[in-house]
Amino acid sequence: MVLRVENIAKAFGNNKVLRDVSFEMSPSSLYAIVGENGSGKTTLLRIIVGEWKSDHGSISMVGRFGYCPQKTLLFSQLTVDEHFNYFAAAYGIEKAELLSRSESLMDHFNFKKYRNERIARLSSGTLQKISLAISLLHRPNLLILDEPYNGFDWDTYLKFWDYTYQLKMEGCAILIVTHLITEKVRFDRIYNLVQGKLI
Amino acid sequence: MSAMRIITGLFMILKMLVRRRIILISLVVIPVAFLTGVELTASEKIIPFRLASLDEKIFIEESQKYIALVFFAVANTGFLVSFLALNLIQIDSDVNRRLVICGYHPFELLIANLFSLLLVIMSIAIYIGLLINAFVSIKHLPLFIFGLTLIGFVYGCYGLTIGSMIKGKLEGVLLVFLLANIDVGWLQNPMYYAEAQNNIIIRYLPAYYPSQSAIIAAFSDYPIVNSSLYSILIGSGFLLLSMMIFYNKMRLKK
Repeated sequence: MVLRVENIAKAFGNNKVLRDVSFEMSPSSLYAIVGENGSGKTTLLRIIVGEWKSDHGSISMVGRFGYCPQKTLLFSQLTVDEHFNYFAAAYGIEKAELLSRSESLMDHFNFKKYRNERIARLSSGTLQKISLAISLLHRPNLLILDEPYNGFDWDTYLKFWDYTYQLKMEGCAILIVTHLITEKVRFDRIYNLVQGKLI
Repeated sequence: MSAMRIITGLFMILKMLVRRRIILISLVVIPVAFLTGVELTASEKIIPFRLASLDEKIFIEESQKYIALVFFAVANTGFLVSFLALNLIQIDSDVNRRLVICGYHPFELLIANLFSLLLVIMSIAIYIGLLINAFVSIKHLPLFIFGLTLIGFVYGCYGLTIGSMIKGKLEGVLLVFLLANIDVGWLQNPMYYAEAQNNIIIRYLPAYYPSQSAIIAAFSDYPIVNSSLYSILIGSGFLLLSMMIFYNKMRLKK
């Protein structure tokens, strides 16, 4: 077991967004949670990563997790390389490992040419790639992605899936939250979040 | 807590600060504009005023221009530092939250912000201190600069508190400028204070002790030990409050 979510409930005032959400993920699994806009997908992810507290229930996690939020949360005045350095400090990654990891991610997602550019000068698609790369920097064994391929071009979309499969083969559990799934066959399991419950 | 994380944070914050050109330009231009305005408008008339934190019988006679220049230097430091501190803590709070999710401790980020702020406070205090010395001769320049550093510390920590507490930028700016304007920008003016009816109220405002340190050092040979200690105490109070709010906001809720 890499992630266990048990009986999670969350309400904002009278609006019960999540009611008794439970699921479990094992290594090398790829799950999706889909749902309409406002169905509580992002709320659930925020509770899983510890950003918000649930009203009820518990979360258990084993190992390192990587999180790519829906909004590309990056410092507009820092360059791509500086972001890798800053987040490497957060993850506790050594310099040599950081260098090889960041080079490989920049090569794979094709944004090496922007490594010395400030975030404020880059396109939204490139920012999405950088945000994803940051969540992968420390080789997580659980990857949590909120609408990860919004803004990707077709080539990057395919590269994203290549990388995802590679991670899955290496034992990483991947949880993708999205409002739209075009290729259901890629997933081991797809949950639909309806009226605060997974079905 | 990791020293390496704090140092990395400090360097990144300073880099971001230096790259925001409009802020840097404001820090350089605003004091020059204020002091030039005073230089061009204030009269040379000699007026007596009382140093609030000293004996009630101690009056000093100085030209209105000299008093106004010193007061505006103090007010400028308070305004600039509180605004900057607010920006530091507020502007990238969502990205800082992501850093916390990835492994940073909230205190590591706050300490990195505080060190950056202290560097900026010292730079502003030295800059404004030297600048005002070009207009008038300050009696004890190093102590005056120290007094400006204290006002920066108190108002910087106040800015950190407001920035930790309030999410909205406009609301934050309003709260910072409201107090800075009433307190350091008006009530602590020695010319106003001397004639104030209820100056006990003024004594309880955060800028009272640090502005007294700067003003005493600028005009007299009296010691500033007590006012400096009280300033550090008030600034530390704000700092502690900001740390508690920031931690509570940023910590992982697991």
